[in-house]
Amino acid sequence: MAKIKQDSKPVRLGPLVAKIIFMSLFASGLGYMMFVAFLAGENLIGGVLALVLIASFVVYSSKGLVPLKFLLPGIVLLAIFVVTPILYTVLMSGFVYKTGNEISREEALTQIYETGYVPDESFTAFYMTLGRYEGEVSALLTDQMTMTPYLGANGVATELGPDQVQLDEYGTAVGFEGFEPIGFDEAATLEADIIDLRFDMGEGKFIRPESLDAALLMIQAFTLDGSSGELYDSVNDITYVDNGEGNFVNKANPEEKLFPGWRAFSPLENYVGLLTDPVIRGPFVNVFIWTFSFALITVATMFAAGLALAIAMDKPLRFKRFYKSILILPYAIPSFMSILIWNGMFNRDFGAVNQLLGQQIDWYNDATLAKLVIIIVNLWLGFPYFYLISSGALQALPGELEEAASIDGASPAQIMARIKLPLLLQILSPLLIASFAFNFNNFNIVYLLTNGGPINVLAGETAGATDILITYAYKTAFGSAEQNLGLASAISVIMFFIVGGLSLWSLRRSKVLESVI
Amino acid sequence: MKRTNIRSAAWRHIYAWALILFSIFPIYVVIISSFDPAGGLASSTLLPQRFSWVNYETLFTSPTIPFMTWIWNSSYLAALNAILSIVVGAFSAFAFSRLRFKGRKTGLQTLLLIQVFPAFLALAAIYVMMERIYTIFPAIGLGSHGGLLLIYLGGSMGVNAWLLKGFIDSIPMELDEAAKIDGATPFQIFWQIFVPLSAPVLAVTALLSFIGTFNEFVLASLFLQDVNLRTVAVGLQSFVGAQFGANWGPFAAGSILASVPLVALFLFAQRYIIGGLVSGSVKG
Repeated sequence: MAKIKQDSKPVRLGPLVAKIIFMSLFASGLGYMMFVAFLAGENLIGGVLALVLIASFVVYSSKGLVPLKFLLPGIVLLAIFVVTPILYTVLMSGFVYKTGNEISREEALTQIYETGYVPDESFTAFYMTLGRYEGEVSALLTDQMTMTPYLGANGVATELGPDQVQLDEYGTAVGFEGFEPIGFDEAATLEADIIDLRFDMGEGKFIRPESLDAALLMIQAFTLDGSSGELYDSVNDITYVDNGEGNFVNKANPEEKLFPGWRAFSPLENYVGLLTDPVIRGPFVNVFIWTFSFALITVATMFAAGLALAIAMDKPLRFKRFYKSILILPYAIPSFMSILIWNGMFNRDFGAVNQLLGQQIDWYNDATLAKLVIIIVNLWLGFPYFYLISSGALQALPGELEEAASIDGASPAQIMARIKLPLLLQILSPLLIASFAFNFNNFNIVYLLTNGGPINVLAGETAGATDILITYAYKTAFGSAEQNLGLASAISVIMFFIVGGLSLWSLRRSKVLESVI
Repeated sequence: MKRTNIRSAAWRHIYAWALILFSIFPIYVVIISSFDPAGGLASSTLLPQRFSWVNYETLFTSPTIPFMTWIWNSSYLAALNAILSIVVGAFSAFAFSRLRFKGRKTGLQTLLLIQVFPAFLALAAIYVMMERIYTIFPAIGLGSHGGLLLIYLGGSMGVNAWLLKGFIDSIPMELDEAAKIDGATPFQIFWQIFVPLSAPVLAVTALLSFIGTFNEFVLASLFLQDVNLRTVAVGLQSFVGAQFGANWGPFAAGSILASVPLVALFLFAQRYIIGGLVSGSVKG
């Protein structure tokens, strides 16, 4: 008996329930994160999460929008973790953002105010009784000269009437309604909080604890003139002005900076520095030239070695399979590993290379030799790839070409040089350009092999002889001496243009962009 | 005529042998170093003189070298990234290849342009962003595997989607049209027609992605400061970088252990990988 297929589809509960559970877990997780972000005051992150949440809700609960159902996860990942960092790099390159200029202007000003205070000329001192007032750590203060009592609470000092306070036998205020004194033992545990206490007295003066039972009247050295934007140091009688590059500088001597500075928006500062400041431009130009020469030389040598191998192995040859499986090994071993192995092998005293040569060559301490090491090791890493693509392309060439040429009397060498090679170059040019772009940013080979060296730190060099742009940017951003994130971003932006331009040119050539279907 | 043939075959063999020697030289050195009990670079010789497993034992027992932890970190990060980026990438590739919608062409061109920028070019921005995320969500911020994975995912998404789209384009349209007539939804077409058909391609793309992530160094070194969270690339670099001389033996043993599975995987999938290479991907 043939079963009759029913028209109405049975509703499958399992997948539906799974879908509902998954969606609610996802939504509650994301919702919780959004809540935490807004609570922490990170409105930008919270906003992004809210946007993702709303978008997923709209897309996945509607009947239509099928393409978006497939695309949304990818779009979200690309937008947040690829496009945003790229745009943020461009933005950061417009800021003075380095060691000493990492915080916002408000934070920097607060820190400058904090450090810029001195005891008031009157040298007024106070006896201090610590306690809690309205739950906060507070103090009862008594002027040692006039014996006037004050309540220091919530950042402000308030003068108290003599009848409001209880005095001890020396006339020091020790009690006040709502004020619970705390003993020395507890005070000692609160020391960190106590040191930060400030009680404002107006006119730029404030009372600051000096110990657990004494305080001093201090005067704020710095005052900011709201209209002119000038910062006046009343103690040293110096006027500071905003230099537009993230620091207050002495008006009379712009070289004298006040620290800390802040991240200042100065769109061209980093780029101008790369082009004109000799301290930055010198190493940058050298690194720039070496990056291009390295990428060119390395692609040329790898391609030449790989192509020659492909030609050598193009004819039937004994042991060909055996050769091939060994020749592919360098490509199969994880590259960071091979680079580290080669690093040890080029060691001057004990390395296998010097043992083989019977020499004591100091490979890493000479700029030219270090560059040679990088080219050789990268050749080892890369020739199998070029062998594979060249032999693939050679086999793809139509056989009639060879026949026709040999009938016309061309020798095998002529066929190779005049017919096959030009065709091969044409077929492989997108891959050669891609390889150039890859090696242009080949961080691992430089960082793991020579670490950019040799470098003469004592002579103040900031870039080594083998540093390429990406390792230079890395060292600029995360170096041990100074971390200059703004400058590193500017270098990144330049690399974006080079890599993007190269790729765009390559895509145009191969007509991929136009032929997108 | 015969003579030129022999001469031509001779130079082919000579050239192949020269490159073979070049290729196996470091492999040979690492193998004999890994079995040399002295363990230091200083005592290494070109010819094997002693044999012992002591370097391998050091690797598993030394408390200062959490080698197995590093291998595990690298493997699971690379595997998770490969699987997730393939799943998400396949969804996008399917939409771009099979569904017709407004903005499709622009979307594809944008994708093609974005995927040429390696993620680590924006390293300063990534650092600052993830540092800020760390202050509220430590599990996906700077210093965490979660954060690193998210950056990896974003970075490999574009490439994988693009590679897979090329493959889906080659699956005949008639298949899904027939399924559509039978009343299949786009999701059913995706799961029941497309995924089984492209399983080998998905596997190879995942493998390439795995190898790429396993080799990644810049972002991992930027992210992972904690010794026990490091990937094998960052871990080995820090451990040989400090004192290459003393740690050479264990390092050699470790690099063999870490390479063998990957090399085996590579040789196993060689045929497919090479096909993928010629169609335009570059090893990361």
